[in-house]
Amino acid sequence: MRLPIGINEQSAEPLYHQIEVQLRALIVSGQLAEGTLLPSIRELAQTVKCSVITVKRVYSDLESEGLLRTRQGTGTYVAKVGEQERDRHRLTAVVEALDQAVTTGKRNQCSEEEMIELFNEAIQKHYRQGGKTS
Amino acid sequence: MSDGQADQAIQFKGIEQRKPNFKLGPITLDIPKGFITAIVGPNGSGKSTLFRMVLDLEKPQEGTVHVLDHRIGSGDDAPVKQRIGYLPEESLLHDDKIKAFEKARFNSYWYRNWDVNRYQELLLGLQVNDNLPLGKMSKGMRRKCEFALALAHAPDLLLLDEPSSGLDPLAWKAMIEMLHRYMEHGDRTILMTSHIVEEVKRLADYIVFMAQGRVLGVYEKDELFSSWFTFFISGEGLSAQTASTMPGQCGVESIGGHSFRITTSKALQADQWCVAEGITIISKQALELDEIMSTLLQQDGISKRVHEARGNSR
Repeated sequence: MRLPIGINEQSAEPLYHQIEVQLRALIVSGQLAEGTLLPSIRELAQTVKCSVITVKRVYSDLESEGLLRTRQGTGTYVAKVGEQERDRHRLTAVVEALDQAVTTGKRNQCSEEEMIELFNEAIQKHYRQGGKTS
Repeated sequence: MSDGQADQAIQFKGIEQRKPNFKLGPITLDIPKGFITAIVGPNGSGKSTLFRMVLDLEKPQEGTVHVLDHRIGSGDDAPVKQRIGYLPEESLLHDDKIKAFEKARFNSYWYRNWDVNRYQELLLGLQVNDNLPLGKMSKGMRRKCEFALALAHAPDLLLLDEPSSGLDPLAWKAMIEMLHRYMEHGDRTILMTSHIVEEVKRLADYIVFMAQGRVLGVYEKDELFSSWFTFFISGEGLSAQTASTMPGQCGVESIGGHSFRITTSKALQADQWCVAEGITIISKQALELDEIMSTLLQQDGISKRVHEARGNSR
């Protein structure tokens, strides 16, 4: 199975973190159902073009968060994600993306007012006009 | 110490070799089991010599080589060699006259684990015909045959010296995929050399830099690539002197006004430093493998000269 995970080599964010955020989102959003067998470490490393060391770290981090479980000899599976867990993780990706946006704004010398204005514009675009978002 | 040994496929300990025009070592280097390690470095830095030492084709004057928990040159090396696949950089001249399938038959006699089905499968995957004398084949075709010959006995340790030289892009891709599939079997190890940046990026887990017979450093690949960046920064009244205090700085260049282009080996710290100093990051760019290598070589040259200068002043 090929996971929809992409990396940005130009980002200073560590690779393992980039992959972790995306894989976590896939699990928490339910796109990867409970019991799904994930690609082997070597396989995922090959598709993402990173080293197995990085993927090992991602799998073990998410395992200790309770999102994955490894069965000796058979592979790594998506674990059962509880409601509470889901809620807790649901927003982390969003918070991160907003943080990224603000950082970019600061880099381009945006003032606080400008940022808020831009944020409101985006809200307007996605939530109010046309109404539907997916 | 002994528990560490089981995790290493190859251990070079204090290797030294002096030839009339070349000195190798001292080198102490561990190649971890279950991973792909790529040695990169300029021509003539001693990479192939290390490979030959693993197979006892060359002996170090000092130091020891342990391969798969066996000390090379102590007693019978044959059982360990059964578990190694070797693709040398240069084709063997005395193979020129024989056909590839004859060479395969020869190998099948010596390698207990020789798997003829596997050999056929590899040939098929690389789309090559083995009914030709090796010397009559094109360079790429011969490389493919030799690649299949090196892999057909499912070795635990694979030594690949410039594996892709002469291969066309399609064959190259097939080879990369075969090597990934080969590694799926968790505890196998590849030690390789390559001058092709993309190949190292696609395959390696660890990267070893070598130059002039010495190891400059061993790095985990992803960590290496995420550490080396070029920053373009600017700030009110920013001076070259301040710019040069960026963590991991390996070169500052003024690009006009209060803007500078800085290469750093500590991207994360450099990033935080910019924030703390109130310096604007205009943009940043990850370094390619060859750029990292040339910077490391430069640094090594500088530190060596400083070292020598200090030595002389005493």
